[in-house]
Amino acid sequence: MTVDILSSIKGAQPSESVNQLFDVIKNASSNDNPSNNVNYNCVSVSDLREDVVIESSAMEKQLILENFPNKKNGFLVVAKVIEG
Amino acid sequence: MESQIKKIHQQLVSKEITCTALVQGKLDLLQQNTYNSVNSTLDVLALELAAKVDAKIANGETIGLLEGIPFGIKDVYMLQGTYTTASSDLLKNYKSPYTATAIQKLLDAGAIPLVKENCDSFGHGSSSENTIFGAVKNAVNPELVAGGSSGGSAVNVAKKYTVFSIGGDTGGSIRQPAGYNHIYGFKPTYGRVSRYGLMAYASSTDCVGPLAKSIEDIRIVLNVMSGKDPKDQTSIASTEISEEAISVSSIKTVGYFKNFIESEAIDAKIKADFLAAIEKIKAKGIEVKELDFFKSDILVSTYYTLAMAETASNLSRLDGTNYGNRIEGENLIDTYAVTRSENFSEETKRRIVGGNQVLSQGFSEGIYLKGLALRDQISQNFSKDFEEVDIVLSPVTPSTPPKIGDSLKDPLAMYLSDAYTVGFSLGQLPTLTVPQGTSTGLQITAAKNNDELVLQFANFLKDTI
Repeated sequence: MTVDILSSIKGAQPSESVNQLFDVIKNASSNDNPSNNVNYNCVSVSDLREDVVIESSAMEKQLILENFPNKKNGFLVVAKVIEG
Repeated sequence: MESQIKKIHQQLVSKEITCTALVQGKLDLLQQNTYNSVNSTLDVLALELAAKVDAKIANGETIGLLEGIPFGIKDVYMLQGTYTTASSDLLKNYKSPYTATAIQKLLDAGAIPLVKENCDSFGHGSSSENTIFGAVKNAVNPELVAGGSSGGSAVNVAKKYTVFSIGGDTGGSIRQPAGYNHIYGFKPTYGRVSRYGLMAYASSTDCVGPLAKSIEDIRIVLNVMSGKDPKDQTSIASTEISEEAISVSSIKTVGYFKNFIESEAIDAKIKADFLAAIEKIKAKGIEVKELDFFKSDILVSTYYTLAMAETASNLSRLDGTNYGNRIEGENLIDTYAVTRSENFSEETKRRIVGGNQVLSQGFSEGIYLKGLALRDQISQNFSKDFEEVDIVLSPVTPSTPPKIGDSLKDPLAMYLSDAYTVGFSLGQLPTLTVPQGTSTGLQITAAKNNDELVLQFANFLKDTI
């Protein structure tokens, strides 16, 4: 799949400046020892927050509705789906 | 400079000034300013809160230290009912449905939000030029950029339009504009302040932090915002930093990265000033060690590879259906594509495309996964360094702020200008910019969770150089 499709951006092309950054990584030497993962930020299972439904406030619901881009006859209108 | 928070607190308590007059004065300054530092002001909310503080004082009630203190918010933080645009066309009409944890904690302490501040769109930039609200002008020389991405926040603090501001730092976005505008800017240890309600750029390095005119104000605001938050599972518990704990320096050894200073890219004056600062520190009896570190181009490339991959994922929800200003196309996929093509800036598109490049099959092993491995090595390098030294000192930037317009012409040069800040982001280390030592300041870094040591050394430097 091309980057314009992957990015949902019409006519998108890889940038020369960004490619130069990626070339540095490609040519860099690295040791791929997975046990060295010091940026391990996963949360332990015992520390997960409670899986509870929290009701949004009336104000929050109102603002979410206001943010929606298109409304018709009291319904929120999503973009036309692809048929077939 | 002395603590502005404490000074204003005293003025309010002694009834030398009213909170309403203080807030109105700052709002006037913000609205009249010509630095493009403001996206929107929060007049009604701010004046309402100020009147409550005045009523409390009039009733003889005690007020907290932050009560009535006016502050600014980078326009990437949720504050319920206010526009949160990320300085982008895509979200120019978006209103926050809820409030970010860090901001809520400041509100709970009584601080008064005045303004949503201009920045690079979605944090994508190092100059605050990539915004729909006009390039932010440097507080010291308006022909130059303010730095970024938290440029509006830095300028508002530098010009005293806000007492402090809350910025966001992913690869240097608090520290670099703080350096460019001669103020303090702190990126805490990753996770010390909850990211809930901050629009995500690169989630593994995004940090919430304060910009202010004194170390004491940084300490006060940091303490209020810190803490574990169930809404951000990467947040961590931390202990409060007391004023006493940072008043006397316990630092015995300082290191600096030799290759940063020996680089051909560094401005001659910044290099000379940095080395002069090192000599002054040595003269105080502190041992200074030269350290080996990764080359700047490796640091910048690793950071941008990972940040672009993360931002491509984080911004995929901005499609005109889940979020944002929809432009209707022929069908759903076309609607997504037209919405994103028309509403994202060139820099944001460049980063999304770069991110999708490195995440796609055939590229992820050679670039993205290798970037992750390099990040681990960089972090290991830091762990080793902090066994040898208490603090690492660095310049904030290799050169002085560019003229407005120059960074947009050369994206690669802009990426490389982040050479001295991105490494500490990858390591998730606490790092403070102090407006001393070089014309764009110095960075003080300590090991993870040693935020206290950073502020302690900053106090020491204040009296040393």
